[in-house]
Amino acid sequence: MSLLEISQLTLDLPGGKRLLHGIDLTVEPGRTVGLVGESGSGKSLTARTALGLFPEKAKLGGSVKVDGTEVLGLSGSALRALRLSDVAMVFQDPRAGINPVRTLGDHLTEALRLGEGVSGEAARKRAMELMEAVRLPRPEKHFHQYPHELSGGQLQRIMIAGALMGNPRLLVCDEPTTALDVTTQAEIVRLLATLRDERGMGMLFITHDLGLAGALCDDVVVLAGGRVQERGDMAAVLAHPTAEYTQRLVAATPSLHLDDAVPSVVSGASLPDGAGSASAGGRHEAAPAASQAGAPEAGRGTLAGDGVVEPLLRVEGVRRTYAVRGKDPVTAVADASFVIPRGSALGVVGESGSGKSTLARMVVGLETPDAGTITVAGKDRTGTPRGREARLAHARSVQMVFQDPYLSLDPRIPVIRAVRDAAALHADGRDAAAVAKELLDRVGLTAEQQQALPRTLSGGQRQRVAMARALAVQPELLVMDEATSALDVSVQAQVLQLVTELRAERGLTVLFISHDLGVVRRVCDETLVLRRGEIVEAGPTAALLDHPAHEYTRLLLDSVPRPDAGWRLAG
Amino acid sequence: MNIVRSVGGKLAGLVLTLFLASLLVFFSRFLVPGDPLSFLLRGRKPSPEAIAAVTEQYGLNLSPWEQYLKWIGGIFTGDFGRSMQYRQSVSEVLLDRLPVTLGLVIIAGLLITVFGLAAGILAAVKRGTWVDRTVVVTLTAFGAIPSFVAAVGFIALFAVQLGWFPSFGSGEGFWDTIRHLILPSAALALVYVVLIGKVTRSAMVEQLGREHVEVATSRGLTQAAVVRRHVLRNAVGPILTVSGMLVAGLLVSSSIIESAFGLSGLGSLLVHSVDRLDFPVVQAIVLLVVAVFVAVNAVVDLLQPLVDPRTVAGAGAR
Amino acid sequence: MTAPVISNVPEPSSDEPTPHRPAPRVRWKTPRWMRGTVLVWIAAVVLVVAVLCAVLAPWLAPYDPDRIDLMNQYASPSAAHWLGTDSLGRDMLSRMMHGARTALLGPLLVVIGSSILGMLLGLLAAWRGGWVDAVLARLFDLLFAFPALLLAILAVALFGKGLVAPVIAMAIAYAPIVARLTRQLVLAEKQRAYVSAYRVQGFGGGWIALNRVLPNVTPVVGAQSTLNFGYVLAELAGLSFLGLGVQAPQSDWGSMINEAQVGLLSGHYLPAIIPAVAVVLVVVAVNILGEEFAERIGGNKA
Repeated sequence: MSLLEISQLTLDLPGGKRLLHGIDLTVEPGRTVGLVGESGSGKSLTARTALGLFPEKAKLGGSVKVDGTEVLGLSGSALRALRLSDVAMVFQDPRAGINPVRTLGDHLTEALRLGEGVSGEAARKRAMELMEAVRLPRPEKHFHQYPHELSGGQLQRIMIAGALMGNPRLLVCDEPTTALDVTTQAEIVRLLATLRDERGMGMLFITHDLGLAGALCDDVVVLAGGRVQERGDMAAVLAHPTAEYTQRLVAATPSLHLDDAVPSVVSGASLPDGAGSASAGGRHEAAPAASQAGAPEAGRGTLAGDGVVEPLLRVEGVRRTYAVRGKDPVTAVADASFVIPRGSALGVVGESGSGKSTLARMVVGLETPDAGTITVAGKDRTGTPRGREARLAHARSVQMVFQDPYLSLDPRIPVIRAVRDAAALHADGRDAAAVAKELLDRVGLTAEQQQALPRTLSGGQRQRVAMARALAVQPELLVMDEATSALDVSVQAQVLQLVTELRAERGLTVLFISHDLGVVRRVCDETLVLRRGEIVEAGPTAALLDHPAHEYTRLLLDSVPRPDAGWRLAG
Repeated sequence: MNIVRSVGGKLAGLVLTLFLASLLVFFSRFLVPGDPLSFLLRGRKPSPEAIAAVTEQYGLNLSPWEQYLKWIGGIFTGDFGRSMQYRQSVSEVLLDRLPVTLGLVIIAGLLITVFGLAAGILAAVKRGTWVDRTVVVTLTAFGAIPSFVAAVGFIALFAVQLGWFPSFGSGEGFWDTIRHLILPSAALALVYVVLIGKVTRSAMVEQLGREHVEVATSRGLTQAAVVRRHVLRNAVGPILTVSGMLVAGLLVSSSIIESAFGLSGLGSLLVHSVDRLDFPVVQAIVLLVVAVFVAVNAVVDLLQPLVDPRTVAGAGAR
Repeated sequence: MTAPVISNVPEPSSDEPTPHRPAPRVRWKTPRWMRGTVLVWIAAVVLVVAVLCAVLAPWLAPYDPDRIDLMNQYASPSAAHWLGTDSLGRDMLSRMMHGARTALLGPLLVVIGSSILGMLLGLLAAWRGGWVDAVLARLFDLLFAFPALLLAILAVALFGKGLVAPVIAMAIAYAPIVARLTRQLVLAEKQRAYVSAYRVQGFGGGWIALNRVLPNVTPVVGAQSTLNFGYVLAELAGLSFLGLGVQAPQSDWGSMINEAQVGLLSGHYLPAIIPAVAVVLVVVAVNILGEEFAERIGGNKA
């Protein structure tokens, strides 16, 4: 008998909108099934039905069986019994998923104590065992701590331990690592694989990341628009996707193409004529830097060549420290020095807290460094500009595309006006309205979308607007701070493609900040790696990714979820 | 250490607020143009002795700061000055009126806590059902009834028409006093029951939408346990904060209620004193209300770390 | 689904994911079914009638509101006196119409004053931050300890009875409520990348604050001010009820209830109930419109 058998599952909202259109899915004992899809595909809805969780007043059809027992329409007490001891779930964001005002010990033990009447002492013992099992350093201490005292990775371990308290046979994981850094993600996924093998659990693993699914799962079900697009053996689907949707998804997933020799977006696209020469030029200029960067000295990477041409951006000895109340000051960026040749693209890679966003904010003049200088095209651009002239000059040197497409556009201003305002401020005799129209046409917005308010646009469209707005100023340098990380992979691929094209057309110089090595590989000529504010390694992207010199770069690379990462095997 | 620091900081802030409030109450008199003596003795025909007494009591021949120090120093020893209308010390007059107001506020507080919480919890747990709708409509309707309208309505209905309760005065002896205070307390409580009910409901509904509630449900807890341990428990913080903010309003509303029901408490005393131009009493009562407000909010602030451990760490609520 | 958000906020809890959209505020939401357009229309009609009565009282009122007719005390509603007469035989309808003028004008002035003052102070506190914010926060804390009605009573004690002093006092008392809301909203807006984007484009801080951020928070503040109108109306009427506000012989809903109290004990309910109902109706109408206003903004913001 299958552990979980979902057949012809449908879900309708009270308004009559159908979100799931007959899903079939099976999880056998001891197997891990990946449920992969982009936002709105219905993957979370599907998986939650295994625990009898669904939106209030939703109408369900079909069948969901756990060990042969029909879950849909189960009575309250039977449902609770199922949740207590058969199926457990690990949620996406442990910070939101664990009650902030209760102790971790209470979180771990409450289901056992209240649900199964286990004594406090026995429940505590079991919690201690499981905290050991999820490799938390100090179970005794954590038992009395509150969620805000632990890091996100540690909290996710608590969440996992909590899910295992009732010895479930099926573990549903809903994007359990999405809120975490890549290295932490790798640790958590390895832990899940180990626990699954030790306990022989079946696992339903929800993710938007095909690479991550490839690293962990035996089978895969690809979902889009509430319908199953493809199912089958994980490796087979990755190697030979049959459905058109899966093919696109495989092509768009950056982590699956880390080893590709040539950035796939550039190769696959039909670029305007100037493209080849422009990017070749970028490579050429970067060449002298590469030889230096091969041997980083004392963690201080320098791409600065005694270059043929004066580099467009020169960052020298930049440092930024934040005072934290009641604690030691945090050094966000320590002594960073690097250059970007004109027309080139530099990737800055790092995890949260690495200082990469602070670096970006200093370059665009939103923050002032404590020490060091920033020069763009030979002009000093250190610190926040004071006065109208300085502001406008700084703006023409550097523009920025921000991370979150939902917050980076003024909600009250129609997009064409946003772009026009930026163009008008830097008019220089240009017709701002025409500039705005042309740029928005270029980034692919229809005339109707151009007149719209941001809220009617999708995330990808909003980032296109943000790029048009930045280009309206005609900057020499474009900073992109995690500009695609909030987007679905297929949308991300399109936006990255647009960046590549625009670079080629306009000879743009780009500072590209990302946590995703695969994305950097697609866009950047050179890359530097930041850890806790320090540049640990720098060099041409391909060389750096293929032959990382620093152990941290290797750790980052090893943490990228890939089918051949070897995580499927425990340990 | 963190707790000591945050509590110390809060207490210092409250003392500062109290100090600034006393400045405002005292120096407000200086906003009135003209001679302070004629302001204080408005509407009276003072004898030369009375003028001398008032001048001496307020230290009107001293500098403003010395006047303030004299006044605030007196308050620390329980001396609020002398009432113009009663020829008694202000503190005696206040003590005389205190029990009625205290009784009124305590009974109202009980009503507010019981009915406000009950209505809010009921509506939140049954959200989206007809129970919720009924509670919400009732609360919205009652919320639009100002306390003086409630007072008039209650007198007309329960005292005059039905004759269940007395309409006037504060009664004698414990039970009679309680009987006299029930109707005024209910009128006073009405608006605040609505406010607490609404805050309780929205704080709980907000928590119900949080992921930790779904996690708790997914782990096989009963709905009652989820509501008690993860919804109500987390809603206590906001409810407590709002309750603290309402205290000052409750005290001031009692002046309307006491006037309407002819109760002789601090609230009606305030109104009388404004009417009779008895500024020392007005000043004392205003300062008292502010002090009670500050004290209650100090207690609320001190309780917050027990309710939400994050407030100690300064991590902020999420 | 939330895609990975990796940011380096320079704070101890740097691994907290940045929420994509602002967390919902704790706010009273009228359930959808209550927001029926019918209810909103009724509320609008009530308010329009009240305003028309107030504006046109001198022309519409059938009698002089202060004309005493001792032969005609406590008359029941009739063709001559639609709402009857009060203890002095004055025509209730005329008094209600004239009373509407003070009942509505006072709150209107308070709301306008407190909104302007509060929005400017709130914007200043949030935008400048630092010591400006700290000083203003202390000032707001101080004013919160003085409920509006108490400050109004203190103003009457200082400057004498009437409407002017209480209106100014209440405008000051309500300003911190508006200011705190504005501050909180502006702080949230300030966090949003679009503000940084304007800066990066070269726009000045003052321009961004006044031309871009302020308009974005105005609707929410406006909804709050609309709700404040109801509270202020009730409180100013309460002040008149206490005999400290509008003075006889001028008619005001609050003082009419006060005058009618004596008759209440002898069973003459109408002179008290009519103004009471008027106060409640207007407050309910304003609340419904305010909630509707807030609801529409909420729906538009996402």
